[in-house]
Amino acid sequence: MASIEFVNVTKEFEKKDIIKDLNLTIKDGTFTVLVGPSGCGKTTLLRMIAGIGPQSSGAVLINGDDVTAVAPGKRGVAMVFQNYAIYPTMSVRENIEFGLKNNKVKKEERNQLVESISAAVGLTDYLDRKPSTLSGGQRQRVALARAMVKEPSVFLMDEPLSNLDAKLRAQMRLDLIELHKKLGTTFVYVTHDQVEAMSMADTIVLMNNGLIQQEAAPEEIYHEPNNLFVAQFIGTPPMNIGELGVDGVKFGFRPESAQTSDTPVDEYLSMEGEIATREMLGSETLYQMKYKDSAFMLKSNYAFYKVNQKIHIGVPEDKIYLFDSEGTRIRKDHERYSSYLEVLRGY
Amino acid sequence: MKKHNVWLSVDFLLKAAILFAFIFPFLWMISTSLQTFQETLSVPPTLIPSSPQWINFVEAMTSGPFATYAKNSIIITLSIIIIQFLVMIPAAYAFAKYEFFGKNVLFALVLIAFMMPGQVTFIPIYLMMADWGLIKTLIPQILPFMSNAFGIFLLRQYFMQIPEEIIEAARLDNASEFKIMWKIMTPMAKPALATIALFSFVSHWNDYFWPLVMTDSNEVRPLTLGIAMLKQSEGISNWHIIMAGNVVLVIPILIVYLLCSKQIVKAFVYSGIK
Repeated sequence: MASIEFVNVTKEFEKKDIIKDLNLTIKDGTFTVLVGPSGCGKTTLLRMIAGIGPQSSGAVLINGDDVTAVAPGKRGVAMVFQNYAIYPTMSVRENIEFGLKNNKVKKEERNQLVESISAAVGLTDYLDRKPSTLSGGQRQRVALARAMVKEPSVFLMDEPLSNLDAKLRAQMRLDLIELHKKLGTTFVYVTHDQVEAMSMADTIVLMNNGLIQQEAAPEEIYHEPNNLFVAQFIGTPPMNIGELGVDGVKFGFRPESAQTSDTPVDEYLSMEGEIATREMLGSETLYQMKYKDSAFMLKSNYAFYKVNQKIHIGVPEDKIYLFDSEGTRIRKDHERYSSYLEVLRGY
Repeated sequence: MKKHNVWLSVDFLLKAAILFAFIFPFLWMISTSLQTFQETLSVPPTLIPSSPQWINFVEAMTSGPFATYAKNSIIITLSIIIIQFLVMIPAAYAFAKYEFFGKNVLFALVLIAFMMPGQVTFIPIYLMMADWGLIKTLIPQILPFMSNAFGIFLLRQYFMQIPEEIIEAARLDNASEFKIMWKIMTPMAKPALATIALFSFVSHWNDYFWPLVMTDSNEVRPLTLGIAMLKQSEGISNWHIIMAGNVVLVIPILIVYLLCSKQIVKAFVYSGIK
């Protein structure tokens, strides 16, 4: 078990700042997901914790101790890589016990650990096989077993599910949530997939351009985004954004917040538009509605609207978000909140 | 359909011709090694010996200190390969995976060494070895080859293809750099190592020029020189004996090739585990 702390961390790469003056605390025992578009610096942070891509300045603390000078193998962390990074010339057993051997764990104890971990991840029958004879899902389990067997205080995962097919990915998500519950250790997980982040995290750290945009629980980050970037990154489809036409202010609402109807809807924001596309997803249907020069996505339980059909929508006041010209959220306590909201009446 | 058949035949004939061009000298060598002295001189030349003269092999092996030559050849070739591996693997690993001051300049030096023919360096090396009093030992035939520039180059390219994450995973597994090199990188590079070993083996086992310069007594001469001396031992050339000696010289190369061929093919089609 361990907490992790970044103190004024900077990472330069070819004289460009990838991460600048970043401060972040990851609490002991949490499942923290670092999420953001590619190149946002999330993997860079993970590699700093592991010690395989040290920071240019600042400090990384594990359990309060500065680990800057501690070798990767001595930090008590284990990592699962995106491409698994299994040793291809070693059997599954040798892969799992390589770390134990390096840590001089006795043979009997080693065998016992390998047996119990491989049973836990369902690899018992494959221990003497070479990785090249395993499927993607099995390789993924080897990588997981190799990390688990060391009983680390921090688990680092760098997009570990991105090479799996959709079904297996959904299964592994559940397995990882359960694993975290069982082990109770700190998990730091990197992904660019916001669905993965939302479904697994206790805390989401959303990053962009090396800066933390918001650090919060999934519910909060979804319902109370700090800024436009967060609002548009989280959620499928993302939040609808429109121009208010005053001071560069933008308004937004989630696709599922709009009530749809054939007749005008009496809500704070109401519009009449035309359906441009329709995607039937099973339990719900996504529509794209053209309104003046903009397009808004709608998520509805009703599948009966047709393309080119006129449609009325209504969004209640408490489901409307406002952002200033910089993209920062305008909250209710802002002095001009009500006056901006007033503009939306009869938009 | 007919046109297709014609092309297939042309294709076959061309391949057969190329195969024949390569294999004929070997067949002739084997054939000559089993002929009598008279048969080797007959016109038109005999292709199939009337009665195989196995005695030629005995004669080739007893005409000089054959065992000493063979022993020297084996010691020289194996020592070179072992020392080359000890030097080459760490060098290639460093060039492929480390960043250090002067890396590019040093690698350029390796490439220059790769392009330098032995004929340029043999006189200074001979003088140096003679100075050190080493001419009566096997060292002048081993020491100058302890670093294999071609090997470092090939192995470096191979190491560069190995994903960085595998090395990082090993570091997280608390493996020392030495262990990463020998237990992870080296086994992964087996095909490249087999190729380098074969090339090195063939070139040093067959080497004639270098030992000719660097030796002045039978005690330190390898097989190639021993066999060449069969030619000079009498006034006329005993081709049947020389060829018998050559057959013996070539057999180890064929064995090594058969052992390595699978790995060599792999070395050129490496794709790694995705």
